[in-house]
Amino acid sequence: MDSNRILTVSRAMAEAIGQEMKRDKNVFVMGEDIGAYGGIFGATQGLLEEFGEERVRDTPISETAFIGAGVGAAMSGMRPIVELMFVDFFGVCMDAIYNLAAKNVYFSGGHFKVPMVLMTATGGGYSDAGQHSQTLHATFAHLPGLKVVAPSNAYDAKGLMTSAIRDDGPVLYMFHKGLQGLVWMASPEGAATPVPEESYTIPFGEAKVAREGKDVTIVTLSMMVHRALEAAGALAGEGVEAEVIDLRTLVPLDREAVLSSVAKTGRLVVVDEDYRSFGLTAEILATVVETDPGLLRAAPRRVAYPNIPIPYSRPMEQFALPDAAKIADAVRETLDLKKAA
Amino acid sequence: MAPTKDQLLWMYAAMAKARYYEDTMAGVYMEGKTPKFDIGAGTVPGEMHLAAGQEPCAAGVCVHLRPDDAVTATHRPHHVAIAKGVDLKKMTAEIFGKKTGLAGGRGGHMHLLDPEVNFSCSGIIGESAGPADGAGLAARLSGRDSVAVAYLGEGAANQGAFHEALNLAALWTLPVVFVIEDNSWGISVPKSKSTAVKDNSVRAEGYGMPGAHIADNDTLKIFDAAGKAVKRARAGKGPSLIEIVTYRYYGHFQGDPEVYRPEKEVGKLKAKDPIKRLRKHMIKKAGIPKGEIEETLEAAKAEVDEAFAFARESLYPAPREALDHVFA
Amino acid sequence: MADVRVPEGLWDVAKIPEGVVANWFFGDGSRIEEGATLAEVVAEKSSFDITAPAAGTLRIVVPKDGVVTPGSVIGRIEDG
Repeated sequence: MDSNRILTVSRAMAEAIGQEMKRDKNVFVMGEDIGAYGGIFGATQGLLEEFGEERVRDTPISETAFIGAGVGAAMSGMRPIVELMFVDFFGVCMDAIYNLAAKNVYFSGGHFKVPMVLMTATGGGYSDAGQHSQTLHATFAHLPGLKVVAPSNAYDAKGLMTSAIRDDGPVLYMFHKGLQGLVWMASPEGAATPVPEESYTIPFGEAKVAREGKDVTIVTLSMMVHRALEAAGALAGEGVEAEVIDLRTLVPLDREAVLSSVAKTGRLVVVDEDYRSFGLTAEILATVVETDPGLLRAAPRRVAYPNIPIPYSRPMEQFALPDAAKIADAVRETLDLKKAA
Repeated sequence: MAPTKDQLLWMYAAMAKARYYEDTMAGVYMEGKTPKFDIGAGTVPGEMHLAAGQEPCAAGVCVHLRPDDAVTATHRPHHVAIAKGVDLKKMTAEIFGKKTGLAGGRGGHMHLLDPEVNFSCSGIIGESAGPADGAGLAARLSGRDSVAVAYLGEGAANQGAFHEALNLAALWTLPVVFVIEDNSWGISVPKSKSTAVKDNSVRAEGYGMPGAHIADNDTLKIFDAAGKAVKRARAGKGPSLIEIVTYRYYGHFQGDPEVYRPEKEVGKLKAKDPIKRLRKHMIKKAGIPKGEIEETLEAAKAEVDEAFAFARESLYPAPREALDHVFA
Repeated sequence: MADVRVPEGLWDVAKIPEGVVANWFFGDGSRIEEGATLAEVVAEKSSFDITAPAAGTLRIVVPKDGVVTPGSVIGRIEDG
């Protein structure tokens, strides 16, 4: 069968999970509305039908309990995939994530494995307001013991999910709602991609060059990869060739990919849908500066969410949200070019 | 405890207003979202959770409340906000994302906050409970006899925050009433598949407070149970829990394909419509003239229409206003 | 040659006049097998997978976001 078959990100995720569940009877899924509903964001579509209620479990609205239970099950030989419906809901269950899941491998000197995948929906831009639109990349990447992955497209989504399930430690799998290919939420053109039918893995800690260029390096992940590519397209028309690095995983972070690109271009723009201060963008800048500030021929720029709760009203949300225009302007700044009118 | 004629008319007005509001909102919400439903498009973008069918839970409780009593509500807040007396124009403008909204458009439908009537709501399940305890505590510490009412869904009764708040309220003898709107569905999961007990009012006993169970969305029974609970709280005797089996006519959120819902369920629920039942009682048992009821209904609709018109005419905030009011 | 069609009577047009092609799972010109899931059509809140009636080369007639009704031809399978 050709791999010319295109899948949406949500279908790719569900396929990865289904294939692993077939391969390994210890894999099971639990979360809110992941059964008959197929997951609010489609991540488990078709699984209840295929595997039944014991292995595809709808939970009550009890995140602390069922994420804690995920840790316990993982420590007892199972490989649970647990869904936290919106990353914004982490507030009610953070202890189970950062004090249990993230630390039990360490606390046991590696004797306990915690092969749990915590998958969660991130992202905004469709007016879901301050408690349902966050990305929170830095919040989780900051905590030692947790691997953090965030695919930008269906091909990566399947491979990273398979790797996440096979990882013997806890992995936070952050999928952007706007990339899922949901019938009720628009997604960018490049999100759905051809996806091989067979199982495959993508190693963590390996960024991908989404677009090659010689003039500036744009580093980002998840939805912002598509905005960066859009910006790069516009800039190409002005004779500026931007290189876009899709990080794919935050922990482990492919710092080498960033450094070799910046060594080539000398200019850096980091893009993140998460809040600007104390986060991913700062981490990338620090990586470059502490390795060799001489790599940079101009001051680097960050395009990120301002430090405000996410506003509901469309003009305010769109003002705050990083987009292709803002990214292109930031690139022009590093090249001392005039901003777009 | 039985309602006076004035109270009956008040409750009818609140319920009719809420029903007409939700039905109007259902139509407005779809503007700009057909034929392809895109949640971020249209006049009212984002999520929308409508409470048509659940009106008695709001009216039957709020009829006993004063503006200085605090109410915390959920992601499905409109009927409660209306019953609590939130300014309808500002509320609608907020839902439309306009500058004239309660928060200038920053909060939207799930985050309606109005200090004038001490109303707030949150989109996070269970998080209405803690703040209600706090409002109750504040009343105690300041020597006031105001009370706090927390609205929750039956799904929230399985969230840690709920259990902690109940214990705390009972422990500190706080003037709080916990109202569980059991509409059977936590999105796609029925109560039977989420809750280990059949009836959340039995949990009340486990937390050291009285619990009442209203089985059929009946406004008068709710009036009675809530009246007793509010009286108990005001007298300094502590918290209570009321669980009301109610119905939601619409899906969990607008756009919800509702594949989980048995096909004829909504039709059956509409046959038992609580507003029709109250109206029947008002005419047949309380002797309220039909004319007066009609007038009340028309006035309620007019107020809603005015609010929607106000919201439509109002301007959007300037984009830059997103940066304001982060800090006090 | 076979038509890729939104099945007649897939939804009640009296209730829902139009649907949309939400996603295509193969590009124009792709070789496809009989029974492959080709596209996803959405009518109001219901979502339907449209499968290939025959093997061959896909030609897309109605692109993503295009409006359809039950019976609409959204694509064609060419022989060979």
